[in-house]
Amino acid sequence: MDEVATKVIDILKKHMKEPRDDISLDTQLTDLKIESLDLAMIVFDIEDGFGIEIPYNANEEVEAFKTVGSVVDRVKSLIAAKQASAAKA
Amino acid sequence: MSQSKPGRRVVVTGLGVVTPIGTTVDEFWSGLKAGRSGVSALEGFPLDDLKILIAAQIKGFDPKQRLKHFKRDRIITLADRYSWFAATAADEAVRMSGLQLPEADPYRSACIIGSGAGGLVTFETAYRDLFIHNKRATHPLTLLRIIGSSAAAHVGIEFGVKGPTFATCSACSTATHAIGIARDYIRDNVVDVAIAGASESVINYGTMKAWQALHVLSPEGCFPFAKKRNGTVLAEGAGILVLESLEHAQARGATILAELCGYGMASDSQDMVKPTVEGPSVAMRDALADAGLKPEQIDYLNAHGTATMDNDINETKAIKEVFGDYAYKLPISSTKSMHGHPLGAGGGIEAVACIKAMHEGWVPPTIGLDEPGEGCDLDYIPNVGREKKVTYVMSNSFAFGGLNAVLVFGPPPA
Repeated sequence: MDEVATKVIDILKKHMKEPRDDISLDTQLTDLKIESLDLAMIVFDIEDGFGIEIPYNANEEVEAFKTVGSVVDRVKSLIAAKQASAAKA
Repeated sequence: MSQSKPGRRVVVTGLGVVTPIGTTVDEFWSGLKAGRSGVSALEGFPLDDLKILIAAQIKGFDPKQRLKHFKRDRIITLADRYSWFAATAADEAVRMSGLQLPEADPYRSACIIGSGAGGLVTFETAYRDLFIHNKRATHPLTLLRIIGSSAAAHVGIEFGVKGPTFATCSACSTATHAIGIARDYIRDNVVDVAIAGASESVINYGTMKAWQALHVLSPEGCFPFAKKRNGTVLAEGAGILVLESLEHAQARGATILAELCGYGMASDSQDMVKPTVEGPSVAMRDALADAGLKPEQIDYLNAHGTATMDNDINETKAIKEVFGDYAYKLPISSTKSMHGHPLGAGGGIEAVACIKAMHEGWVPPTIGLDEPGEGCDLDYIPNVGREKKVTYVMSNSFAFGGLNAVLVFGPPPA
């Protein structure tokens, strides 16, 4: 697993009541018993950790938050977008 | 307003406190017995240009240690400090009561835990982050930490309370109103059990500046009724009771600590800071009438006693108005001389002091009272507490805005 994935999983574990070590990219977030308040805190930590902003509304089902892998992909694309816009500037 | 009406009798079966002189009822009582002051040098945040440099802060409080056994409320340790204090005091009170919560019918229990101001420390931290440190966002829990009903909600979740759950807010009378309302709900058969009181934790730079601007804080200490008094001292903490209908407590064989036999409230409706004699007098009279007691039956009065110029003279006048000649014989003290002024939590902490006084046959002193102030000529139990048989007690709470609330406690019904 790459650096982004490892860091995302560490953040997930930090917010799980019973952290487990078998989290893979395919793991569903619902299987981790992550609820909406936990998700808000996870998003906050990811944003802080990677210096990005994740557009997210707790009232909507978000495709990007289905599995660990989809979160990691979303983070990577936001990092890439940020780097691209920084390069342009 | 007269509140006497028949209804169920209401008793106290649990007590819980978090104060600067003790974070359990036993420690708190030892602090009162020793006449210990909880006032110390202000610390925990940059003092910058503050002129008032003392407060009665709770030092070394570890929520992880005190609340680690909480099961239903998963985020209590991430809550604001004021919710930690409420949860800790409620936990102690519930344990003391021996109640197994949730109740079989959880809708027959209430959780009324007020706060004068809610999570002000969280508020300041969040605004510093946004406006000074240019952070992009506040912590996701900021809103939940700040709201003044979060302590009630946290405690209600942990103990599975599904009946009336909310906060009261009436500045320094907050806890007393919460306990009074809970009493009424039980008396009127809305619920059988209630966790009631208040919690406060507002000591930060902005709050100190705001109080400083009102010029009512002492730079030296909290000396109620003393000539040298020059203002109050901000404190923090929580005071919470478990109340039950008498039948409910008897049916489960609970140890009954006291009966909450009188509650009175009245508003001055006159001025935000200048109290009337009438408002506090009416509240005290109503509490006595509600309890069916004559003034002479009160053995100890825990005064609001804030050590401000206005309160102490005014409260003394109101006590004379209600108690007549007996006012001079009635032992009165302000325990704020020891635990400081915990604002909304005051009435809860002082209710615990009153009930302990009944049990221990000992009335706590007003410390720092070397020479009484002008217009302060009653028996304020100066400096040293005394042994005394205490059957009925009165606890006064008089708040900014002229919001007065008074409780009377008596012995467990035979």
